[in-house]
Amino acid sequence: MNLRIAWRNIWRNKKRSLITISSVVLAVVLATFTRSFQEGTYELMIENAIGKFSGYVQVHQKDYWEDKSLDNGMELSDSLIRTILSTQNVEGVNIRIESFSLASNKNNTKGTLVMGIEPKKEDSLIDLSNKIIKGAYFNKHDKGILIGSKLAQYLELDVGDSLVLMGQGHWGNTAVGIFPVKGIVKMPAPNIDRQIVFMPLKTAQEYFSFPNGATSLVIKFKDADLTQKICNRLNSRLDTTQYKAMSWQKMSPEMLQQIQSDRISGIMMLNILYMIIAFGIFGTVLMMTEERKREFAMMIAIGMQKTKLAIITLYEALIMNSLGIIIGIGLSIPLVVYYHYYPIEMSGEMAKSIEKFGMEPVLPTMISFKIILKQALTVLIITIVAAAYPLWSILKLNVIKGLRR
Amino acid sequence: MSIIQIESLKKTYRETEVEVHAVNGIDLSFEAGEFAAIVGPSGSGKTTLLNLIGGLDSPTEGKIVINNTNISNLSASQIIDFRLWNIGFVFQAYNLIPVLTAKENVEFIMHLQGRKKQEREQRTKDLLTSVGLGNRLNSRPSQLSGGQQQRVAVARALASKPKFVLADEPTANLDSKSTENLLDIMEKLNREENITFIFSTHDARVVKKAHRVITIEDGKVVSDERK
Ligand SMILES: Nc1ncnc2c1ncn2[C@@H]1O[C@H](COP(=O)(O)OP(=O)(O)O)[C@@H](O)[C@H]1O
Ligand SMILES: [Mg+2]
Repeated sequence: MNLRIAWRNIWRNKKRSLITISSVVLAVVLATFTRSFQEGTYELMIENAIGKFSGYVQVHQKDYWEDKSLDNGMELSDSLIRTILSTQNVEGVNIRIESFSLASNKNNTKGTLVMGIEPKKEDSLIDLSNKIIKGAYFNKHDKGILIGSKLAQYLELDVGDSLVLMGQGHWGNTAVGIFPVKGIVKMPAPNIDRQIVFMPLKTAQEYFSFPNGATSLVIKFKDADLTQKICNRLNSRLDTTQYKAMSWQKMSPEMLQQIQSDRISGIMMLNILYMIIAFGIFGTVLMMTEERKREFAMMIAIGMQKTKLAIITLYEALIMNSLGIIIGIGLSIPLVVYYHYYPIEMSGEMAKSIEKFGMEPVLPTMISFKIILKQALTVLIITIVAAAYPLWSILKLNVIKGLRR
Repeated sequence: MSIIQIESLKKTYRETEVEVHAVNGIDLSFEAGEFAAIVGPSGSGKTTLLNLIGGLDSPTEGKIVINNTNISNLSASQIIDFRLWNIGFVFQAYNLIPVLTAKENVEFIMHLQGRKKQEREQRTKDLLTSVGLGNRLNSRPSQLSGGQQQRVAVARALASKPKFVLADEPTANLDSKSTENLLDIMEKLNREENITFIFSTHDARVVKKAHRVITIEDGKVVSDERK
């Protein structure tokens, strides 16, 4: 009976109820949509800059991160690799040796990051062969190199040309070498594209005079959410007087910070949206109760407890809001999924400024049921809170005054 | 034994600077089976008196005892239940829940009492038939005339099996034909089923039908006649 009354009351003023429901729908869709875009952008950013480049977890010689010189590199050993590979959830390890060098061609000189990698393994992590825009990928015995497209442009280098590299090697050795350019790669992050030189691991070890040496071991695993766990596991199994496993959050704190502050400003915007919705709901429920004070007074007069009456109004608010939320979720899911696979591509100035920050100029959504549920739940709670004052006014209703209206 | 006993009842409103003695010292008692009219000009205190008897308002002084219960001693929620089980109400207007049909409006009060569905349905049909609305069970209040709505209200008031029915100017918004019709139905229920009615009015034609006429002026009883 109570539910029946509530249900019919909702349809008593169809227009108003539809407006209320639509505003809840809009709130849910907008909230999930903006949050999904936000998290999607972060996800893409992390994936490009971290997942498909530095990896979520790396193992270094314990002092390397403070002072990234080859002298703080490590001597590879079978037992080290075995320990890492036998750690739970770890699926592989990529050995890298990296350091800065000066690159020159003709009259141009530029600081570069020389990165010695295992060609096959890295290809599956950073998908390097697909980033080649000219030339070919290398194998582990190659003496040739791959360079970033922006670097190639700056140094006016083409496939087949030779690049002169010069820098510090291991233990005070000078590193010098001339390397043929085997391919040009376009890295998604422009700051990397501007300075990267890839070399097969062996060639790099020779160039740096550090045979069997490495600076970083990139740990491969499937689920990025396991980052912290795997990091902890590694640190508990490795000899920490020598080695140290680091998560990407520790290695790139500025990125984490940027994401967090961006996230906060996004959430603040959402809070404004929530407030608007809350006032809207508050207004409708208040109007609904004000208009019906006489009816309510009559119902209390003939013997209905105020709490029961409040429950009916609560039902009304709940039915409308849940309807709005269910429809909102229903609309959000396909939208979020669509824009995950077909992200918004940005153009013009906006795209340029985003590229400057080392990101692709696209806005994908993150498909996360957690985001959708969280936003839906937040809207639900807000609508219930907004309905609280009108309910309170029922509990305080003066029957005589109500009847005399 | 009387079902309602009123002793030195006073109600004073003090909303502005001036005090209004809406009920100013009333002693009355009602017996089961009465068909009593409270008569008086507008502002004489009829509504206030009926609200006090019905436990909708609390007296400034004096007491009201209904079936041995001093209703001033009941808590806010107890008095609501007391009304539900003991008193039937008919108001001047807006008696019904607009989103419910005639049948559902009558059933509603029995639902509050927690009566079984079968009993509710049977009793609703019987009551609406006895007020001449057996063919309008599924009409919404907005589809009924003013007189029909008041008859539904009477049926609803009786549905809870109250000790008595209070009706505050039940015919004030009705034309003379509907007024007569409603009074006839009330009188029939009083005669045949011994239902106690206490109603207020300032309509001479309604006064004529009453078996007892209590006249009040300025919150005081000025005459109390039985016919
Ligand atoms: N809530 C109230 N506040 C102040 N004065 C009131 C209130 N209710 C009734 N009165 C006053 O009490 C007197 C009696 O009113 P009422 O009982 O409504 O009379 P009646 O029903 O006979 O017309 C009137 O003067 C009215 O103005
Ligand atoms: Mg009155």
